[in-house]
Amino acid sequence: MTKPAPARAAGAFRTLVRSQWLLLATAGLYGWAFAVSPERALQALGIGGRAFASVTLIVIAVFGLVGLLQVWISRELVARLLGREAGFKALLVAAACGTILIGPAYIIFPLLMSIRRQGARWAVITTVLSAYAVKLQMIPLEVQFLGWGFSLGRSLLTVAAAIPVGLAVEWLMERSARRPSRRP
Amino acid sequence: MIAVSLTYLILIGGAYLACARADRGKTLQSLKIAGGSLVKLVPLLVAIFALIGLFQVFVPAPLIERQLGAASGWAALLTGGLLGAVAIGPPLAAFPLAGSLLDSGAWPPAVAAFIVSWVSVGVVTLPFEAEVFGARYALTRNAVSFLAALLIGLLVGMLS
Repeated sequence: MTKPAPARAAGAFRTLVRSQWLLLATAGLYGWAFAVSPERALQALGIGGRAFASVTLIVIAVFGLVGLLQVWISRELVARLLGREAGFKALLVAAACGTILIGPAYIIFPLLMSIRRQGARWAVITTVLSAYAVKLQMIPLEVQFLGWGFSLGRSLLTVAAAIPVGLAVEWLMERSARRPSRRP
Repeated sequence: MIAVSLTYLILIGGAYLACARADRGKTLQSLKIAGGSLVKLVPLLVAIFALIGLFQVFVPAPLIERQLGAASGWAALLTGGLLGAVAIGPPLAAFPLAGSLLDSGAWPPAVAAFIVSWVSVGVVTLPFEAEVFGARYALTRNAVSFLAALLIGLLVGMLS
């Protein structure tokens, strides 16, 4: 038996809200912003648009890489290099990768998740994201504004903290994952 | 940024060509996965960038400066960390802001916590992180990174 049209429409609406709630909420916020101050809302839209344009190419490259990795790199290889069996070396590699990568961190979220699905451990993923905060290529600029002591201290401590943070997050994830696992 | 992005794109394009010569079917499958995940996540990315614009216009730097300058001690450290977590934008924008905070006499550990939290904790990007990795991971990672930012802030402030 098929549902009546209004119920189907309501169902479709619910699916839309569930999958695109952030976009809808953002649109709502912009509605408010345009009502309050149209010129500042336009300015915000311009800033967002320019920021998006500046990362478009990288976003495409990252998704291209996700596709390649998932099809061509075997799970065994990822697990061997970045899983538990790789030991501490994998964490060092992760810290080094995070330090030299550029761009905003959320650009590589999908890439990291695809590596995770192929067998990399949570500590590796988290260490990359933590070391990402170093911003190696921006240190000269940071020194200019904040001085050598501050910038070097911040960068070195961020690198030093990356692996402990990674291990802590992994420990928390696995602790909370074990509890409800009563499935056969 | 453009030069680096183009380099990445060309490298990956080259990799696709090389793969296509080795195995056409598998390469098409790669393209399909790439396109599929791109289409799935683009609406979220659009929303995030729109939010970044809104934030930068409606929460201007002087407001952050006033909040952080007014607090002192532990409250300042916490305020610095929280402001950094909510703030979003390139670190390029955080450095001058932090510099002027230091110049105007803000407590160095609080400024350090602000910077570290700015680049490693993201409240605005949290929905995106939760969509990609799952909510449990996104919340755990941001909470642990926030605590680490406070600790690093304290140490940097005491060292420098």
